[in-house]
Amino acid sequence: MIRNRRSLVALIALFAIGAAACGSSSGSSGGGGSVPTGGTLVLGAEQEPDCADWISSCGGSSWGVYTIQEHTMPRVFNYAKKNGVWTEVPNVLVTKMPTAKTVGGKQVVTYDLNPKAVWSDGQPITATDFKYTWDQIATGKDIYDTTGYDKIESVDDSKPTQPVVTFKEPYASWKGLFGGGLYGIFPSHILQGKDRDAEMKDGYSWSGGPWIAKWAKGSQVTLTPNPKWYGDKPHLDKVIFKFLADTAAEFQAFKSGEVAAIYPQPQPEVIAAVKGSTSGANSYFTADTGNSEALWLNNASAPLDSLKVRQAIAYSIDRDAMIKSLFGGLGVTKASQSLNAPILSKYSDSSGFVVYKPNPAKVKSLLEGDGYTKASDGFYAKAGKRLSLTMRTTTGNKRRILTEQILQEQLKKSGIELKLDNQSAGDLFGTSLPNGDYQVALYAQTLTAIDPGLCTIMCSTNIPSDANGNSGQNWTRSNVPGLDKQLETVDSSIVEPTRITASKKGDVLMGDAVVSLPFDPMPNILLWSKKIVGPVNDDPIFSMFINIDQWGLKK
Amino acid sequence: MLTYISRRALYSIPVILIATFLSFWAVRSTFDPTAKVRVSRTGARAAEQIRVRLHLHDSIFEQYGYWLGDAVQGDLGDSERTHEAVGTMMTRAFGNTLQLIGWGVLISALIAVALGVYSATHQYSKLDYTFTGLSFVGLAMPAFWFGLIAIQWLAVWPKETFNLNDPIFYSVGLHSGDQSGMFNLDYVRHLVLPVLTLTVLTIAEWSRFQRASMLDVMSADYIRTARAKGVPRRSVVIRHGLRNALIPLVTVVALDVGALFGGAIITESIFSIDGMGRLFIDSINAGDVQVLTAWVVVTAVFIVAFNLLADVLYGVLDPRIRLS
Repeated sequence: MIRNRRSLVALIALFAIGAAACGSSSGSSGGGGSVPTGGTLVLGAEQEPDCADWISSCGGSSWGVYTIQEHTMPRVFNYAKKNGVWTEVPNVLVTKMPTAKTVGGKQVVTYDLNPKAVWSDGQPITATDFKYTWDQIATGKDIYDTTGYDKIESVDDSKPTQPVVTFKEPYASWKGLFGGGLYGIFPSHILQGKDRDAEMKDGYSWSGGPWIAKWAKGSQVTLTPNPKWYGDKPHLDKVIFKFLADTAAEFQAFKSGEVAAIYPQPQPEVIAAVKGSTSGANSYFTADTGNSEALWLNNASAPLDSLKVRQAIAYSIDRDAMIKSLFGGLGVTKASQSLNAPILSKYSDSSGFVVYKPNPAKVKSLLEGDGYTKASDGFYAKAGKRLSLTMRTTTGNKRRILTEQILQEQLKKSGIELKLDNQSAGDLFGTSLPNGDYQVALYAQTLTAIDPGLCTIMCSTNIPSDANGNSGQNWTRSNVPGLDKQLETVDSSIVEPTRITASKKGDVLMGDAVVSLPFDPMPNILLWSKKIVGPVNDDPIFSMFINIDQWGLKK
Repeated sequence: MLTYISRRALYSIPVILIATFLSFWAVRSTFDPTAKVRVSRTGARAAEQIRVRLHLHDSIFEQYGYWLGDAVQGDLGDSERTHEAVGTMMTRAFGNTLQLIGWGVLISALIAVALGVYSATHQYSKLDYTFTGLSFVGLAMPAFWFGLIAIQWLAVWPKETFNLNDPIFYSVGLHSGDQSGMFNLDYVRHLVLPVLTLTVLTIAEWSRFQRASMLDVMSADYIRTARAKGVPRRSVVIRHGLRNALIPLVTVVALDVGALFGGAIITESIFSIDGMGRLFIDSINAGDVQVLTAWVVVTAVFIVAFNLLADVLYGVLDPRIRLS
């Protein structure tokens, strides 16, 4: 599922692309200068979160993060683009970049908290809050994902303003923890000894961020400035996120001025509607996202267990043409060439996948070399069995269904049959993919932090098995010689150049083995009214709404 | 009358039990409540916790028994999707849908009866043809299309054309910002478009019923007699004609209200109203058995109640009909 942490399985890192540069823009960020104060801004939210207990199984909605969590939960890092590369920068919660060092084979990270940092009740944000957060995520019930926190050995809270986190072993993705990713920091003085889920699931009145949120279920989230906020004060008196369930109605609400900004998913009707909605409004499209949509191949399922068949598929598909037809309206015309997301381009090497362009001669040679012959019906067959694949994606997603139909035609031209058998997101991600009950699947991975880490989904040790309690997430069942070593280095090394080198080597190995086939970066679309003053930009992790405290309304 | 109502209420209990069991069985066999947690690294442990909590190791009859035991004590459980109490979710959705349906039915009935009576008493007049033509247009218009067109014409177009600060009619939810209550302009401005969308089809349908029914009644002997006796036309139409012509419409309205209650999905989606239809869609997408089963109970009770109301109204409208 797109833009949903559930499908992502908490990969605190991932995915990217070499290509797909920044998409076109017809508005870009709003003006800076002096921002008026006061007023109420109404924004559109595509989905209502299921619950506000962000770490539980019900808390996986990205829109929960965009509308409540990122405005109320303290976090260690923000994200910023420096020299064209997205990177972590310290948030106002800390006074300087946390330090990570290896001591006796263990990794020790020290955070220096801003002494002014307080919760909305005036109580200081302390090391004990870090300890409580770790404890809840690592040992709590019904926690959706414990990745990273399960590698922590201890959190020393003896110095209130200096939590010291000790990992059992080197953990390169440490920046994704404690609000670096999508989990924020919890107030121990409010929640300690209580049922956290019960206290938070329907919304909460405390805050450690610039806003205090009030969630009227089924209708809206209202943000009002946190009077104890220790950073720059929000300019607006109030921000309201209205839940808009219907895509077409979302655009109408934007056009009628009922909501002043929307952040829609790139469905075909959205792309068509964007042009009709942008007169008199600002817009920005970008392919520099944390998303990676790919054709995921089950490497353990015949005939995809044959490298030659996987390569033949890759040489059959005109990915650039497909991406141009799907996202050309947003200026995205080139396919992704890495399973890493675009914002992780510095960790990507496109040379592995870029070679896969339509090449009928190669398809013929590969398939005939694998024992296939073309039958009179135009399809290849081996031992009397047609070369036929079944593809799955999420039902109801028009863009993916359109993609499937284009793929069907392209593969048919190469003599490969493609059947479609789509499923609900729950069945696809909950049953078929983990159980290996698929051959080809189309879905996206979305980053929860700007950090690479494809081992979770590509290392052979993570193929679901008895050894990992069948909870491994390498659903492609790929087992590429030498790949584990590279991806494990990416996960464990805290030396950045080493990680980059290993990640690039891994990319090439995955491309050579066609473990899957990267497709597109799922561009982000921002539309906002000219009434909004202040910096409006996309944040690939936290959305366009991350800095609404800096926005104002034209008088 | 009281005996009749009590007996009908008792008859409805097995209907509701069967409906809830079938719903419970269908949802349980279709959706795996552990699916969404099994994809995480700690999925196996989390999935087992869910299996124990929902008694998934027991037979479907035992699982239903546990649910029913709690339900009769007023505990409909917690949503597997939101962790919120199902009772709270149902109350909120029920209230919103009731507002939509209530206003929709009231306005539809008033307009449909007026149009039907006028068309019947002015048969083959220009206005009769006009209303007939419009009703066919109304019957042919899908709600999702009409809803969007209504927003475009009545919200977007006036705002853009006259450069207004706000649209005349709103298309999101039932209130703006912190507004609440049912007796203010903001509420009316939010209600106009969804009610219009909901009523266009029912007005078209009901006005045709009313016209046909009224034509039947107006050609009856007792109407001719009343006219011959010199009873004023207004009195003939309203007291003698309309009262009897309403009986078939009451049946249609009662059945349609039940259907509208669970079927306002399109209208609620387009206008972002958190009602029963949207709750159903969200829950079925998530395989949320607790909510879906409760939804079936509430909807079944609502439909049974309105069928009963229709029977009772027959007696009120026509004293010759005795309920026993």
